[in-house]
Amino acid sequence: MSLQILINGIATGSIYALIATGFALIFNVLKFSNFSHGATMTASAFIAYFAIAGKGLGLVPTLLIAAAAGALIALVGEFVGFRRILLNHSSATYFFVSSITLGTLYEGLVTIKAGSNFFNFPRFFSTPTISMGEQVISTSDVVMFCISMVSLLVLAFIIQKTRLGRAMRAISFDRDTAQLMGINSTRIIQLTFVISGALAGIAGVFLGIKYTLYPTLGSLVVKGFIASVIGGLGSLTGAVIGALLLGVVETVLLRLLGSGYSTIATFAIMLVFLLLRPQGIAGSNVQEKA
Amino acid sequence: MALLEVKHIYKSFGGVKAIQDFSIEANAGEIHGIIGPNGAGKTTIFNTISGVYPAEQGQVFLDGKDITKLEQYKITRLGMGRTFQNIRLFSGLTVEENVMCAFDPQSRYSVVGGLLPTPNRRKEEKRGRELCAKYLEAVGMQDYIQERPENLSYGMQRRVEIARALMCEPKILLLDEPAAGLNPTEVAELTELIGRISQQFGFGILLIEHRLELVMSISHMIHVQNFGQTIAVGTPEQVQHDPQVIEAYLGKEE
Repeated sequence: MSLQILINGIATGSIYALIATGFALIFNVLKFSNFSHGATMTASAFIAYFAIAGKGLGLVPTLLIAAAAGALIALVGEFVGFRRILLNHSSATYFFVSSITLGTLYEGLVTIKAGSNFFNFPRFFSTPTISMGEQVISTSDVVMFCISMVSLLVLAFIIQKTRLGRAMRAISFDRDTAQLMGINSTRIIQLTFVISGALAGIAGVFLGIKYTLYPTLGSLVVKGFIASVIGGLGSLTGAVIGALLLGVVETVLLRLLGSGYSTIATFAIMLVFLLLRPQGIAGSNVQEKA
Repeated sequence: MALLEVKHIYKSFGGVKAIQDFSIEANAGEIHGIIGPNGAGKTTIFNTISGVYPAEQGQVFLDGKDITKLEQYKITRLGMGRTFQNIRLFSGLTVEENVMCAFDPQSRYSVVGGLLPTPNRRKEEKRGRELCAKYLEAVGMQDYIQERPENLSYGMQRRVEIARALMCEPKILLLDEPAAGLNPTEVAELTELIGRISQQFGFGILLIEHRLELVMSISHMIHVQNFGQTIAVGTPEQVQHDPQVIEAYLGKEE
């Protein structure tokens, strides 16, 4: 049973990791928290749901549609909500207000289309569980974990090994200097939003599979936010570690305390952690700042 | 037309007139020194030329193109490289990555191609690394490729910053107080370095500097600024004997 809980927790954590890295990417480059990230997840998951509904399409096309939708929403959001603020070098408060407004807007649009109903993604797997000796684990957990990890590896590759990643890292340290070195920062920021949005789309579908689809699903973004703070704001590696940790702690507590107290206990543990180590796991001298 | 032509530019911040009617012409192979007391508006001149903020009046031409109102990165791509008074290297990136950042606009593959390991991308990255090695060698930093800038001495950081500016493949190179914070030996090495890269790569250099021994020894022409105005232009020999310059630097004789 214990192994089962661990696998369960890691699978949940890997979804949180997708959310947290999408969040941390924007934080890194723009130094603000994009609170419309959650609503972007919900909206793109719903778009994917309605696109595949009744067509019998599999998980991979669904994820691709959601990722594309998320990327598009983030791209529009960057242009409508953040571009002007960025060019004017305005204070972070404007980003805060702008991103919350955008998030509320997306959520409102989804509610108009979907009502306050719950939707279920079709069953993507013919065999819902896999037996490993004594252990029975859910197929969707395994698949979600694998896809999340592949996405994160692709992300790590982009950031560490491509010129886009190099430009993103340069901008995260000093946008003005990067521009004076010939980097088109507007373009790089756009692409950062695209990547972040695509991650949001994938995470949205996974949350939908795990918890059903409803218009305020995006509030689960808080988990990703907490994970990225635990990991050390801005550090992508930290965000992943924080997310996996959060997933496991949450699952263990859920098993021990039941659903009511486990949420409270999880947040209490996280608060204590942040009191003890406010700079997060990765600390201040983050090596792989993206 | 000269390679860089700055015509009668003005820039003020609130009531402070940082630049009043500044003009300069620079050609390939030339070194122009810009000197003057603190607050004379020297760095503002660089910022205006390189597009950090546009001039309020006047025009800037690079290689015949009007760049007065262009965005920073476009000006850089047209052939303007610069270094900064307070070194502005990306501290989380290695020396090589810092220099490679400036290769970004030079590489010819598309954004999508940049993500996929296509043969084209590999070829471009290889070309980039070769250029990077060439420029790091030109400034004598070839042995520190994987080092992080914050672990290097001030003088070495200056050299890396110059290599990064070279990576922009500039026609005009702006050096903002490259000798600030260097000891006399390092200043001598830097003087030699600036003269050498000027010969080797043949671009025009604009040099802001307080160390007069450096400016006077390598500049072809010198502009002396004071309170936003140009008070003298001429060869090092000429400006050293200009009464206004002597007054600005040493105070008026009673």
